[in-house]
Amino acid sequence: MLKILIPTLFLIPTTWLTPQKWLWPTVMTQSMMIALISLTWLNNSSESGWTTMNSLIATDPLSTPLLVLSCWLLPLLVLASQNHLSSEPSSRQKTFLSLLSLLQVFIIMAFSATEMIMFYVMFEATLIPTLLVITRWGNQAERLNAGIYFLFYTLVGSLPLLVALLMLQNCTGTLSLLVLHYSQPVTMAPMSSKIWWVACMGAFLVKMPLYGAHLWLPKAHVEAPVAGSMVLAAVLLKLGGYGMMRLMVVLAPTSKEMAYPFIIMALWGVVMTGSTCLRQTDLKSLIAYSSVGHMGLVVAGILIQTPWGLTGALILMIAHGLTSSALFCLANTNYERTHTRTMLLARGLQTALPLMTAWWFIASLANLALPPLPNLMGELMIISSLFNWSPWTLLLTGVGTLITASYSLYMFLMTQRGPLPKHMMALPPSFTREHLLMALHLLPLMLIILKPAILWGCFP
Amino acid sequence: MADYREAPLASRPTTLDPNEYYNLSPEYRRAEQERAALRSNLKRQYQLKLNDPHRQQLIEDPALSRWVYARANPYSHFRPTGKTSLLGALFGVAPLFILYYVFKTNRDGKDAQIKAGTLERKYKMSY
Repeated sequence: MLKILIPTLFLIPTTWLTPQKWLWPTVMTQSMMIALISLTWLNNSSESGWTTMNSLIATDPLSTPLLVLSCWLLPLLVLASQNHLSSEPSSRQKTFLSLLSLLQVFIIMAFSATEMIMFYVMFEATLIPTLLVITRWGNQAERLNAGIYFLFYTLVGSLPLLVALLMLQNCTGTLSLLVLHYSQPVTMAPMSSKIWWVACMGAFLVKMPLYGAHLWLPKAHVEAPVAGSMVLAAVLLKLGGYGMMRLMVVLAPTSKEMAYPFIIMALWGVVMTGSTCLRQTDLKSLIAYSSVGHMGLVVAGILIQTPWGLTGALILMIAHGLTSSALFCLANTNYERTHTRTMLLARGLQTALPLMTAWWFIASLANLALPPLPNLMGELMIISSLFNWSPWTLLLTGVGTLITASYSLYMFLMTQRGPLPKHMMALPPSFTREHLLMALHLLPLMLIILKPAILWGCFP
Repeated sequence: MADYREAPLASRPTTLDPNEYYNLSPEYRRAEQERAALRSNLKRQYQLKLNDPHRQQLIEDPALSRWVYARANPYSHFRPTGKTSLLGALFGVAPLFILYYVFKTNRDGKDAQIKAGTLERKYKMSY
């Protein structure tokens, strides 16, 4: 574990000490080496599940795919930000890269925490670098509003979580994830157990986001620069899913009753956000709402607490992380050329940038859950286990899948086909860096087809 | 009408067509001339920007900007009218209660069957 954490932490002195000419290649190389070393975590060969242990930090088959995803994402963030930061002074570029590295350290520590309080502290800590990235390097004036929504929605959700965790520590004497499964169930009055359940889950439901508390997400994703959008969509949302999966073991009997409203909100959210996507004019906003829809399925999969549901949730989280990040990169390639996110103004790009169309095509197909990509595998497992939970969910999930397919195709056809606007000029051709970025996103996604077992987690 | 000359890039509007303007008052004709002059000036500016070889960016269309702002900010201008309240209740509130009722009765029915021992447990691949 330290062979990943120490290099990531020392990315910060690296950025400040390298000369400007070698800054981006150096940071890219170091983060890529960290990403490649992190792949060794996928070898989970311990009987109890927990490997790479020290007293504070461990990995197990649930956290490993998420850790590898976040380590893989750091070089991609660096690669994606290179262009729009090139016009800024050197110290600002270094500040940006240091913020990303710091965020990465917090994410790694959050996913590998063995103690729930450490997870909580790191969960909160990830907010600060992300807030700084959104509000400082965003492009429109609305970024301030977006930062406030982002910060306060998550904080308001997570303050009750602190109280709930401290109460759990009081009752069971430990918050170590290693033994949380074996602790006595906490007995309390029915009403207080319901409040305690909401307190535990609230932070993660806001982070996922659940449909009713999702208002921060489109704002934050749209206003963030590309690296901010990528890390938000790919990793930070998954922090919520991971927290839910870890904490639901202690919430056992209350979940039977309490899960209903949230499963319903999540599934209805899939349909509603899908429909919202169909009438979006802003490209990044469309991708943001599609994230809410996919995460709604993940929330439903986690809340029903069956092995297939949890497995499907984990697979869908990883697949969605890669796909959503890829789509934000593609939207950024559009934005850097036309400086507008409006889809009407950036149409017909197949005639101008045909190679990028190939990446748009693959990313859109991944988004609409085309077999044999893991997006479909995750969704199918969640849908099957939901059907087993109650056959009526099929109405919502089926309609949701249909709407997902239609808005993904709509996004592809809107941006690629159709007439190229006549006033479009000075479109630089696709850079090799952008092709590399897309390949690094979509190649792992396609390789996962060959061995999805690495993503199954501890379940089947 | 004799001293109205068409702008080079503008077409003559229908109301300035000689066949039509015998019944129009002079004030109306003057107003139409002014409006046509304004329109042709706007078109000229657009064409200048369109054909400017040094232009690097999109030509800003204020109507499009307003439309995009309107589509992106519905909540700040939301007014609870009868129609919006009905839509909100129909799509936002009622489905949650209906779905809760549907799922609860379905699951409670299954619970009752399990308690009575009548649930037929077929082989299931997914669970």
